[in-house]
Amino acid sequence: MIKGDSQEANHIELGKFYFLNNKFNEAVAEFKKVLEINPSNAEAYYNIGLIKEVSNLLNEAKDMYSKALAICPDYKIARDRLNKLIGVEN
Amino acid sequence: MKKKQYAVIGLGTFGYNVAVELEKKGIQVLAIDNDSEIINKISAFVTQALIADATDEKAMEDAGIADCDTVIVSIGESIETSILSTLIVKELGVKNIIVKSASSWHSKVAAKIGANTIVYPEFEMAKKLVDGIRSPNILEQIELSKEYNLIEVVAPEEILGKTIKSSGFRNNYGVNIIAIRKQIPFINDDGQSDMKEEINMVPGPEDEIDQNDILVVVGSKESLAKLKGDK
Repeated sequence: MIKGDSQEANHIELGKFYFLNNKFNEAVAEFKKVLEINPSNAEAYYNIGLIKEVSNLLNEAKDMYSKALAICPDYKIARDRLNKLIGVEN
Repeated sequence: MKKKQYAVIGLGTFGYNVAVELEKKGIQVLAIDNDSEIINKISAFVTQALIADATDEKAMEDAGIADCDTVIVSIGESIETSILSTLIVKELGVKNIIVKSASSWHSKVAAKIGANTIVYPEFEMAKKLVDGIRSPNILEQIELSKEYNLIEVVAPEEILGKTIKSSGFRNNYGVNIIAIRKQIPFINDDGQSDMKEEINMVPGPEDEIDQNDILVVVGSKESLAKLKGDK
């Protein structure tokens, strides 16, 4: 979706790997590293949002999805998840 | 078997959506309102749409209200019109009458004249909203009876990693876990992180409660208040 340099891409991939294995703290740490390198990486915000949602921290999830959408308004999966949380039908 | 027929009288936002949703479920709907614009708008979505005065007994009879199994009176703007319409529907012999109430007095009068069910959506939503603000870990709450509720609650931290049996959930809180909703992370076809939900409908004593599980719990209101941390 959003391509950054290889370091960003590596942290994204590692974050996803941790997410898949239910290691949410480690995953968030990787996505935060991405944001340190590139604060405009919408995919990192989306992934943190997803982890917050899985953790039932719904307000934080909404905040993260909104940040992803502020950077990339056409980010469909982020829009769908935010709409679902807010209660808007897609 | 004869197909069930419903009528919705009063097509404000609530009535309009009830009529359309019923029709989507394959139920025949007769939609009635005195506003021709609304009738034109809904006519494509329901079996029959009629412009009629809900307080005119003859008009209601001609509309075929007496043949309906259930009538939903959802006239919000005038309590008097709603009550009169309910009375006419009752006198036409409809067995099941559902009334959308606008106030507690409206509810009491509707019950007195024979409404079978009274819904008060604004009040119910307000209650739900406040419950959600007070107890953010409670995701859903359904009243089963005056004493018992069903709730969906985020698994409390102290029982994570334990089995249902070893968590002592039933002994400590006096409630039963009847299902567990699990959020499962996966990577979708576009290579994006995503999640799906799996539900364990028959949780056994040896099933483990994981982080992020949502428990569907039944218990007395008193026991559930303890679980919610209200007491």
